Amino acid sequence: MPTEYLFFSGKGGVGKTTMACATAVQQADAGRRTLIVTTDPASNLADVFEQPIGHQVTPIAGVPNLWAMEIDPDKATEEYRERILGPFRLLMPEDVLKVLEEQFRSPCTTEMASFDRFVDFLDREDFDLVIFDTAPTGHTIRLLELPVDWSQHIEESAKGSGQTCLGPVQAIQESKAKYDRAIALLTNPGHTRFIFVLQPEQTAIFETERSATELRRIGVESQELIVNGILPAEVCDQPFFRKRYEMQQRHLTEIRKRFSLPVKEMYLRDREVKGVASLREVAQDLRGTSRASSVLSASVAGIATTELPHAMNPATLTGLLVPRNGVSKSIFFAGKGGVGKTSVSCITAVHLAQQGLKTLLLTTDPAAHIGQVLDVPVGDQPAPVAGVPCLWAARIDAKRATEEYKARILADARARYSEEMLLAMREELESPCTEEMAAFDKFTEYADSDGYDVIVFDTAPTGHTLRLLELPFDYSQQVELMVTTTEESGALRAETRARLNRIIARLRDPDRTVFAFVVYPESTPVVEAHRASLDLAAAGIPTQLVVANQVIPTEQATNAFFRNRRAMQLKYLDEIERRFGFPVLVLPLLDREIRGLPVVEQAASLLFTEPALDDGGVVAAMA
Amino acid sequence: MAKPQVTIEIFDPPMCCPTGLCGPTIDPALLDVHEAILRLEREQNGATRVVRYLLAQQPAKFMEYPEVLERLKRLGVNALPITTVNKRVVKDRAYPTYEELAAWMNRGAGQ
Repeated sequence: MPTEYLFFSGKGGVGKTTMACATAVQQADAGRRTLIVTTDPASNLADVFEQPIGHQVTPIAGVPNLWAMEIDPDKATEEYRERILGPFRLLMPEDVLKVLEEQFRSPCTTEMASFDRFVDFLDREDFDLVIFDTAPTGHTIRLLELPVDWSQHIEESAKGSGQTCLGPVQAIQESKAKYDRAIALLTNPGHTRFIFVLQPEQTAIFETERSATELRRIGVESQELIVNGILPAEVCDQPFFRKRYEMQQRHLTEIRKRFSLPVKEMYLRDREVKGVASLREVAQDLRGTSRASSVLSASVAGIATTELPHAMNPATLTGLLVPRNGVSKSIFFAGKGGVGKTSVSCITAVHLAQQGLKTLLLTTDPAAHIGQVLDVPVGDQPAPVAGVPCLWAARIDAKRATEEYKARILADARARYSEEMLLAMREELESPCTEEMAAFDKFTEYADSDGYDVIVFDTAPTGHTLRLLELPFDYSQQVELMVTTTEESGALRAETRARLNRIIARLRDPDRTVFAFVVYPESTPVVEAHRASLDLAAAGIPTQLVVANQVIPTEQATNAFFRNRRAMQLKYLDEIERRFGFPVLVLPLLDREIRGLPVVEQAASLLFTEPALDDGGVVAAMA
Repeated sequence: MAKPQVTIEIFDPPMCCPTGLCGPTIDPALLDVHEAILRLEREQNGATRVVRYLLAQQPAKFMEYPEVLERLKRLGVNALPITTVNKRVVKDRAYPTYEELAAWMNRGAGQ
């Protein structure tokens, strides 16, 4: 029997790891030698199995036949780097080594290193089943697309300059064979199945559809869905949750209609799944034998507290969001797709515009939910939003930005270079790095503009992007001497450096830039957000705000099921405050989706004017 | 034309790719040298080979020629880019022009 591969994909917090672990336990119990691997930097495999795991294959206690490993992207990069650099440590001059090490911090290398590690597992033959609890959707798809992208890139480059982003073609022919083998495995339905885990909500439907299409495009046909977090009808015994229940059921119907894929339905639990025993319960539900376990466990877990942790002082909040002294302010909302980042961006933008501040709302989200939330069309150019004076909105289309970027570079080159050269450039621009550069380029164009009092960005640049920006910048200082062989290149470099300098200074200035994370108060999203904030901090950018979305209002937690869930949320609100060191801004769960101006305004009043909610308004100053 | 094969090698400064298109700054000097190489190869009809090495991908190459290593040790990365003809350094700290490349080519050795 050839090894079977199972990929679990989905955003942080949808229960992907739980589903992957439950499946792993069940398969191991059935006697198959099973390995579960996570490539998610925010992995909580260790939490779920209640034992340390880490960057090596580790047997799981209490489950014979089961092993687990958490791939650490930093470690993977380090291993990859040492494999190449190790032999030179003695010979290379100090400063050359330093530059080399810097280079290995580039996102390209990190991605390659993780992918390399990942492909290693596709070559394992000592397991019957390898389960990948993969990184959140976008990243995963990119990871899976890489073999196709790189090998195409390599093939095309072999015809041309013989060079790629990865190095000369000769040097990576061996890798090409490895990537081709990876593609063959991934696209073979007899070997590989791809399972999307999603919650019954609109954004998740769009995103899953997009991912499913992208995967089909690279030839991965064998796909299944698990819809997780469905509210059990019997606990929705009052109007507030009844309404949410009905909303979910409508989305479920849509999911069944839209996807011609096998769909498994999993119910929301009143507590976290931890330990092998509870994983076995989930596995039973997954096999469809019963769903009793999920609902009947809803006895009160003995928590009486209804107090919210320290809410944020309204004056502090205003100081954070409202520009002062005529200096414009950029507010970035970061967070995984589906956590309500777009809603929070819209709510904030509408709120600030209504205070008379000239506000621009910008998204890089290809699905452009801004338009749906505000109920107005949003295009490529900033346009006024009907019904909200002072508010403008626009969407950055990454694909289009990439095309524009390529076209601009090639147009500049056309005047002075040969056809052959243009061909070589075009080929080089096909590299996966270009898209990231192009999106950032577009992004800085707006961040750099001073035409608005406030610019609210739905989706912030990642720490990675910022590092990409900083890196060449750092070593440009060292390299400057040699590459400025002409006056022209010297001038160009100076100009670019000044522009980047300005943007970096702006992003690092807490008076001009506010970085905020939107999370669900649950384990994985909080860990992920915190990790991302550390990346940002490494790039010199402090995180100033965390918005916790979908917090169950205390007056709606009328039965044991929802009281338990609320207690779990409160635990993670505490956790956010502990990790970030400042109070959390809370957006309570509403009984409807945030769509259309009236609902946005209602949400704004909940988010901004009653930040202490209903829990006695414990007010704390910012740390 | 049975001219002896001339091998020109360029040791690039640190960057993502040889045309420099990947980074936030696109340096015309990088594009110019690439164009010069293409032109030379076209005109020489394959009689010459210009090979480029990247520090991040082929560090071993930078250690291979004593003259290259010596400059790296003395000047650090500031010595780059270094150009060699048949393993002898002919230029450092700047990229060669088309005219230089063509001259080295025709002389058959870089003295």
